Amino acid sequence: MPEQFYHAWIPVLYRALRLGPELKKDFIFKPPARQPVGSVLYQEHIKRAASCPMAEFAGYIMPLWFSSISQEHRAVREAAGLFDCTHMGILQVSGPQAAEFLEAVCTNWVADMEVGQARYTFLLEPTGTVMDDLIIYRRGEQDFMLVVNAVNEAKVKAYLDGLIQDIWIIDTADPERGLGLSPKIRDLRDPATGPDGMVDIAIQGPRSLEILEALVDSNSLFLAQLGPFRFIDCSIQRIPCVVARTGYTGARIGFELFVQPAKASALWNILSERGQQVGLLPCGLGARDSLRIEAGLPLYGRELAGPYGINPFEAGYGWAVKTQKPFFIGKTAIAEAASNRQMQVARVRFPGGKGIRPIRFGDAVLDSAGRCIGWISSCASTGSEQIGLAYMDSLHCTEGKVIGIYYLAHSQAQGRQGRPQTVEKGQQLQADLQGVVLPRFARF
Amino acid sequence: MVVQKGLYYTKDHEWVRLEGKIATIGITDHAQRMLGEVTFVELPAVGASFEKGQSISVVESSKAASDVYAPVDGKVIEVNEQLLSRPELINQSCYQDGWICKMELSKPNPTSGLMDADAYTRFLKSQ
Repeated sequence: MPEQFYHAWIPVLYRALRLGPELKKDFIFKPPARQPVGSVLYQEHIKRAASCPMAEFAGYIMPLWFSSISQEHRAVREAAGLFDCTHMGILQVSGPQAAEFLEAVCTNWVADMEVGQARYTFLLEPTGTVMDDLIIYRRGEQDFMLVVNAVNEAKVKAYLDGLIQDIWIIDTADPERGLGLSPKIRDLRDPATGPDGMVDIAIQGPRSLEILEALVDSNSLFLAQLGPFRFIDCSIQRIPCVVARTGYTGARIGFELFVQPAKASALWNILSERGQQVGLLPCGLGARDSLRIEAGLPLYGRELAGPYGINPFEAGYGWAVKTQKPFFIGKTAIAEAASNRQMQVARVRFPGGKGIRPIRFGDAVLDSAGRCIGWISSCASTGSEQIGLAYMDSLHCTEGKVIGIYYLAHSQAQGRQGRPQTVEKGQQLQADLQGVVLPRFARF
Repeated sequence: MVVQKGLYYTKDHEWVRLEGKIATIGITDHAQRMLGEVTFVELPAVGASFEKGQSISVVESSKAASDVYAPVDGKVIEVNEQLLSRPELINQSCYQDGWICKMELSKPNPTSGLMDADAYTRFLKSQ
């Protein structure tokens, strides 16, 4: 019997010999089955655009667009856009051990954050896989608000709850290790939370500040001075809310507003009505995606984790992983992955517009000799161009590098023409479209 | 949602206009609304034969690549080449200028399994 066989059994035997209640488990999450529901703003959406197509996203029925993706995209770049982000998960972590707890579970520094400051970070599994990317808002010395991806909300909550109960293995080299910290965790979107409840509405784009300034009851001076990743408590037409200069569109000026669920519709209508005067449009999931792609921002499930298993260093977010921290869950694995990097996410541009076949997830990226060097992870049409994010060989990720696209079959008819559904790295192919590598990020 | 009288419809939201042995094919108003701005149309080859239900063409928007299924059996005799440079005709005029192709019927009873305008309207409401 091979030696590895015995080695593989050592941790199993080790754990099997321990008594039941002390046994720790690997974190495995099975999402609960539930019927999709409308977002908090669903009634507003159907009033506004009865025929606008809706789609299920992370268990919520959300509008894909109100007018059209391209009009909404343009509104955010030139004026402002209003986004229903009420599906985003919002968790509160509080208590005397909250900062220490978050320091141990997040890849970025937490304890040094000031009250009123926000910070982007990752949660990793002990194996180094990205569990979620999120923004932490420090609302008090012992009070943090975590805005997590809607698709990951239940998973993150189960993970954090289990860490407090000390039931997960957090260090593969030391399966008995625990945090020994028990902050209080609350789901701020849960109707049972009461007056502290919060949901997220975003207003993004160059004219978003003047719209808020016209509506805010006080603190308007502070609003103009609010730096990126800073937030303040204020009230808009007597609706209390937290206004944060954060967002997911790449807009230089943009805000997320956190408001009680019961007041969300009123706030949405106030912003929408006032915003119309300067060209604000309500935006659906379509524009939300095309804007973040154009800006180069990663999406969990595409440019983070997902089918390509992309880590933060490959995604261009190594800065949010502080390997110099004494400990965080997944540190050993991610530090190793960081030093063995061969692939990374690049922002790429190809011709687009009418009559050019759209580039989609999985389409092959070729070097100038026609060899497959990676794949498209996301792509969006922005007028006469298609801007994509590609997971590709680092050697080719230099700005200005000429690359090609080979389309895969995304429909039956394309399959029948002989187009494959997958392509391996290194395969020799004939490019359908020629494009170029862009700078990793763009700001607008 | 516009459903035009006199045409026949499929559950996949294609329409057919029957004139003698010739069937003109396109996608419905409901289909174009669900797809959003159409940016690319892949047309079948003239002369190619298709059985009912086979994918005959692809209509793409930023949202999806959507197969268009042959609503009748027959041979393609003409395609709307205008769509190659002006795919937006499918959004602007799905029942007229946005037609996709014409087929010569190869089997009798082309309307079997298809819905008339009233039945298609009821079908949309039931969705």
